[in-house]
Amino acid sequence: MLANVFAKTLRDRWPGWAIASGVLGSFILLGMAAYEGIDISFLDAFPKAYKSLLGLGEGVDAGALAISAIYGSYGALTVAAMALAMGASSIAGEERKGTIGLLLANPKSRTHILISKIAALVLLCTFAAIALGSLSTGIAAALDVGIGNLDVMALSVHMLASSLFYGLLATAISAATGNRGAATGVTVGVMVVGFLGAGLLPLLEGGEDWVKVFPWYYFNGSEPLNNGIDWGHVGILLGCAVLFAGVAVVGLRRRDLKGQSVGVTMIDRLRANPLTRKLADKLAGSARVSSIWAKTASEHQTSLMAASAYMIYVQLLLGWFWRALPEEMFDLIGQLPEGMNTLFALFGGGDITTPAGWFQIETFGMMAPIMIMIVTISIGSNALAGEESRRTMGLLHANPISRSRIIIGKSTTMVLYASAVGLVSFLGTWLGALAGGMDLPLANIAAICVLLTVLGIAGGALALAIGAGTGRKGAAVWGAVGFMVATHVMNSLGEIAGNPAWQKLSPFYYYLGGDPLNNGLDWSHAAILAAIAVVLFGAAIVLFQRRDLRQGGD
Amino acid sequence: MSDSPAIKTEGLTKHYGKVEALVDLDLEIPAGEIFGFLGPNGAGKTTTIRTMLDEIRPTTGKAAILGMDTHEKSVEIRKYIGYVPGDLAMYPNLTGKDTLTYFANLRGGVDWSHVDALAARLDADLGKKVGDLSSGNRQKVGLIQAFMNKPKVLIMDEPSSGLDPLVQREFQSMMREVAAEGCTIFLSSHTLSEVQRVADRVGIIRHGHLVAVEAVAALRSKAMRRVQLELDTHADATVFEAVPGASDVTVSNSHVVMSFEGDMGALIRAASDRYSIVDISTQEADLEEIFLTYYHDEEAGA
Repeated sequence: MLANVFAKTLRDRWPGWAIASGVLGSFILLGMAAYEGIDISFLDAFPKAYKSLLGLGEGVDAGALAISAIYGSYGALTVAAMALAMGASSIAGEERKGTIGLLLANPKSRTHILISKIAALVLLCTFAAIALGSLSTGIAAALDVGIGNLDVMALSVHMLASSLFYGLLATAISAATGNRGAATGVTVGVMVVGFLGAGLLPLLEGGEDWVKVFPWYYFNGSEPLNNGIDWGHVGILLGCAVLFAGVAVVGLRRRDLKGQSVGVTMIDRLRANPLTRKLADKLAGSARVSSIWAKTASEHQTSLMAASAYMIYVQLLLGWFWRALPEEMFDLIGQLPEGMNTLFALFGGGDITTPAGWFQIETFGMMAPIMIMIVTISIGSNALAGEESRRTMGLLHANPISRSRIIIGKSTTMVLYASAVGLVSFLGTWLGALAGGMDLPLANIAAICVLLTVLGIAGGALALAIGAGTGRKGAAVWGAVGFMVATHVMNSLGEIAGNPAWQKLSPFYYYLGGDPLNNGLDWSHAAILAAIAVVLFGAAIVLFQRRDLRQGGD
Repeated sequence: MSDSPAIKTEGLTKHYGKVEALVDLDLEIPAGEIFGFLGPNGAGKTTTIRTMLDEIRPTTGKAAILGMDTHEKSVEIRKYIGYVPGDLAMYPNLTGKDTLTYFANLRGGVDWSHVDALAARLDADLGKKVGDLSSGNRQKVGLIQAFMNKPKVLIMDEPSSGLDPLVQREFQSMMREVAAEGCTIFLSSHTLSEVQRVADRVGIIRHGHLVAVEAVAALRSKAMRRVQLELDTHADATVFEAVPGASDVTVSNSHVVMSFEGDMGALIRAASDRYSIVDISTQEADLEEIFLTYYHDEEAGA
């Protein structure tokens, strides 16, 4: 074993894993505390299909709900995403940075280095599985929440196998092609499509058989929390993981290593072709460097496209599902006692039997804010801190433009892009509502999209302000993400606890608190979110004005 | 404005926490001068430059460029400045041409025929993405960027790193040409030979302290020489060390080598009193030796 590559990989990666495990643990704590306070016996009357979507089995209680909702879905997704990010950058990341040459100048084979990296991945996945498993049982014991016959260990084993599957799939693509983007993209695609497919397909008639094509099915399709380890399913995941490891070793051994490089985009190809050069130059070349905002816009096209595509796709899909779901299910849910809405609080809240609640729980509650903030926080954190980390700020700042003009240029893009995501969300939801034959006023759809846009801008402005104050991109990203996740949880718990005063400290209260899909736009809420954004932009300008620029660093 | 020196610093000091990166720097550089700023790595060269650009703010003291305070008037100043940062980084996804277009747009008023001429002189490939260029070719893009707006003051931090000798020479003649037209050049370097070739004056900085500022010609006229003597018999080093102006005396058998700055007659008398001189050769010391001597003295003094 190549102890130094292994050790270095661990050293680079463990803080992220430790933080993620800690955050998930605290969510489980909050979730158990929240769910314990409410009567959830009504869940026993839930249709089986819907319980399976939530990852619930028979005999539901607070512990089960918290563990399955947080550990079984978001926890497992997070750990799988960490594993795939690590796998994707294992070899391709070193090639891109140009460090692979130095690494291989040592008398160690490619296979040795790859295996060391895989070993670190396996160790961290195991750590996460053990940490989440013991946190879940430990917190339940500490809070005296009964988790009865729940087999948390089995869920951990399934999660370990599942995260290794995605981690090694990404490693295999990364090692065989040297293309980190492809490794990340393909694996995320497999994961997300699997997650949605495994959750939604069983709701449709005849969907149960198809669900087996999705790897996510083998994670919790057998309900390990209730039924223990399904060695067949674990074996399938681990078998694939071993196969991927083999592909990685063989693939890496056979190909030429890439030098330090930048990706080739479609526009580059068009610019290289004499026939299309003029047009492509106009589109990409002179236009994208015409100003700070245009250049920022060109840098963040990918996240804008991804967020927009997601919003269109998912809203249309949800419209279609709305029509396809069996009537009885809604009848059944409709007969359930009052208070069941609290169940959905962590997913954004709302009455799932109405079109408004359906969209709120499925997208606007959680995924839409995530999507828009992927765009705005990435613009905000890259705007200043990103240029400083990449050492390009020196040249930019040497031009006769003030520091506030740099901020204004980049913030313009942030506002434009957030508005674009908001507009696309509006169109997507409108089309989805048409496809589903839903009765949803256009004004209300516009209302939630306006609030979503302003919320996204506020999140991006927070990242910008932290970056302006510290010059550290890591602090900007994680500060903004951490704040948004914490206040999202805070708002959800506030919903469960019956809207106490402290819920109004969360920006998410001003996004969803007025129930915009049912009640239309509450202008005061929009104004408060806008005011938060304006204050943060102002803070960014003041903070950036006062400090020394950094060169390099994180 | 025309009367004020192109660059002036007064008591410029920068602390990072407890680290004194720069202490009480006083400099005055007249218009049209090429000023070489010499010092080992970590001496405070980059800190000085980043203060001039208002990237960082002095702890105490101040700096002025073209008579304007570097902090108060930083945006105005940057209209007239060309800048090559040390350890140059640019946007890897942009081609050289895109990069230059971007900065030209931010500046305004860049003459593209001038850019093309600069690119031709440095043999730069502007069609490739910066991220795919070798470090020397990337550096060329950075140099064109600094020269393209015909600046009044050029501030460059290790500008010739990565350039091959032919391009270095071309770059040096570019510097001489713009200086002849009145451009002031602040050239930070540890490549002594380059500074020796182009600079009018040099400042030597070490541990944040300015050790000396001298005209290159004056440094040379300090008449430090490298002297080699071949004697008829085994020599005694103490004889030569006793001569005023002699340093670094090394003796192997009858062969003596030393640095010498003083009356050559006294040296020859001292030698011929004791020995018969078989051969003697002297040569002008280059800046490197002078630099090392300063450095050595400082070291001994510290």
